Amino acid sequence: MFDFLGNVLKNVLSKPSTRMYPYEKREAMDKARGALGEIEINKCIFCGICASKCPALCIKVDKTERSWEFNRLKCIVCNVCVETCPVKCLHMDKAHLGPLLASEKSKYFGPPKQAPAAKASEN
Amino acid sequence: MNTKTTIPFGPQHPVLPEPLNLKLVMEDEKIVEAIPAIGYVHRGLEKLAEVKDFHQNVFLVERICGICSVQHAMAYVQGIESLMNIEIPDRAKYLRVIWAELHRIHSHLLWLGLFADAFGFEALFMQCWRDREKVMDIMEATSGARVVVSVNAVGGVKRDISSEHLAEIVKVCDQVNEDMKKMENAFLNDYTVRHRTVGVGRLTKDQAYSLGAVGPMARACGVAQDLRTMGYAAYGKLGFQMVVEQDGDCWARTAVRVKEVYECVRLIKTAIADLPAGDIAIPVKGNPNGEVVSRVEQPRGEVLYYIKGNGTKNLDRLRVRTPTFANIPTLLVMLPGSQLADVPVLLLTIDPCISCTER
Amino acid sequence: MIANVNEITKDQLLGETQKMAAQGYRFVTTSCTDLGEGKLDVLYHFDKDAELHNLRIKAEKGEEVPSISKIYLCAVLIENEMSELFGLKVVGMAIDYGGHMLLAPEALKTPQSKITIEQRGAK
Repeated sequence: MFDFLGNVLKNVLSKPSTRMYPYEKREAMDKARGALGEIEINKCIFCGICASKCPALCIKVDKTERSWEFNRLKCIVCNVCVETCPVKCLHMDKAHLGPLLASEKSKYFGPPKQAPAAKASEN
Repeated sequence: MNTKTTIPFGPQHPVLPEPLNLKLVMEDEKIVEAIPAIGYVHRGLEKLAEVKDFHQNVFLVERICGICSVQHAMAYVQGIESLMNIEIPDRAKYLRVIWAELHRIHSHLLWLGLFADAFGFEALFMQCWRDREKVMDIMEATSGARVVVSVNAVGGVKRDISSEHLAEIVKVCDQVNEDMKKMENAFLNDYTVRHRTVGVGRLTKDQAYSLGAVGPMARACGVAQDLRTMGYAAYGKLGFQMVVEQDGDCWARTAVRVKEVYECVRLIKTAIADLPAGDIAIPVKGNPNGEVVSRVEQPRGEVLYYIKGNGTKNLDRLRVRTPTFANIPTLLVMLPGSQLADVPVLLLTIDPCISCTER
Repeated sequence: MIANVNEITKDQLLGETQKMAAQGYRFVTTSCTDLGEGKLDVLYHFDKDAELHNLRIKAEKGEEVPSISKIYLCAVLIENEMSELFGLKVVGMAIDYGGHMLLAPEALKTPQSKITIEQRGAK
């Protein structure tokens, strides 16, 4: 009847298996999907594929004014936008989003469109 | 003279993981009648599935429940693939089995912990959940998230597992085996635990079959039904053995789930040893058209998906029937005649997942 | 496509279900679809030895359909749900929740049928 007593005594005498969060934080794993990181707005071509594939509808892309808007609190961290972006300008961060004080939407504006002849002369 | 009193059990109760209301009509300490009522977490997910396109529905469907999330996605994706006549590569089938069985281990360990909590054995509850952390960590290392893993997609799986991670999964499986052996004694042979579970809530084989019980509820009464014998994904090639008990009481249901954990570990190790090389997904073109029924064995029983497509990228109808929905009517037969102090134990043996039931 | 579908009228429903029970079939569930223009399509799924057999009936919204809960008690939950969410009237259920099993008293009636939503006023 007292078979589990050995296990209980071992647990009482060894150190606790819980971590003292937030003083001690765990290292994030390599492939973890924590939160969507910052977009490299100079590479973005404003094609709108990430906005149409997003299941939570949290991305808004405007091609005429060259802007990319992102509602961080609606994101379900599913990784679809990172996988389908044709120029690979989106990256997934390992660390989870910390606590926020206010709801915020990030909006990024890209550089104005350059004429193809001018771009070739720069390279 | 016997007076009848009505006691509400729930919807909030320390032993219930999700809200479920039971109206118990009692005579002294014995229950005479019990009527369950649900509806506290209805989200209308079936209606939302008609608005999203069929690729985005995978994310919707795996969030119906956190404890059986991989199998929900697997049932949906298998239904769409059979509707569009897509044959996925073998490596994808084996990877799906590995993640599904890891998910089943975590679900059974969670239930074993809650069950120990139901009769007050807190030390065993904490030990089960501490052992479950190893499984959650390996799921995060291989797929990116602890609970809702998002690895299934129409046409295959989204991530591959490297050989270092495969070796780590085998190590975790060995540890789970050892931990279960230490806890099996406490669940099945302990004197006080046996007093609370043997002979409580007995269901006969005919009652279980006619009430439509599924999963470990039915297998503990002697009804030998398990959808993994149908051989979907890679189960046909792994030599799967069903676990069946004959007694039909709470002890038999605990024994079925404890022995299933050993079977899951054996399936994972066999799948890793036989894993074929190749692609993990094939590209998908076109839209689903027609109707199909797809069934998969979840940790709690049989889940049924009825999918109807009409040639556009939105589905016409997505209907989900989860196993707890089929197990709740057994309460109408098990509860009358039992004591009030046994109600938490009885309620937890059906493994209630109310968010699955109400979608 | 689904195999083994038997199309019947609602008057034959109780007779066919009785035959299924006598042959040892287990009741799985029912699926209701709104086909538009007030028509509903109801499929009853039965299982024996991992093989599914289905019965299909066509009904109008508000039409009375007999309940099979005298033969299979477990059908009582799904019949309540169908009558609340789709407006299919099922008579003779063993336990009748009176339209309040899933929906709150002040909720919209039959929300899962094909409804149109109009926006009133500007936000």
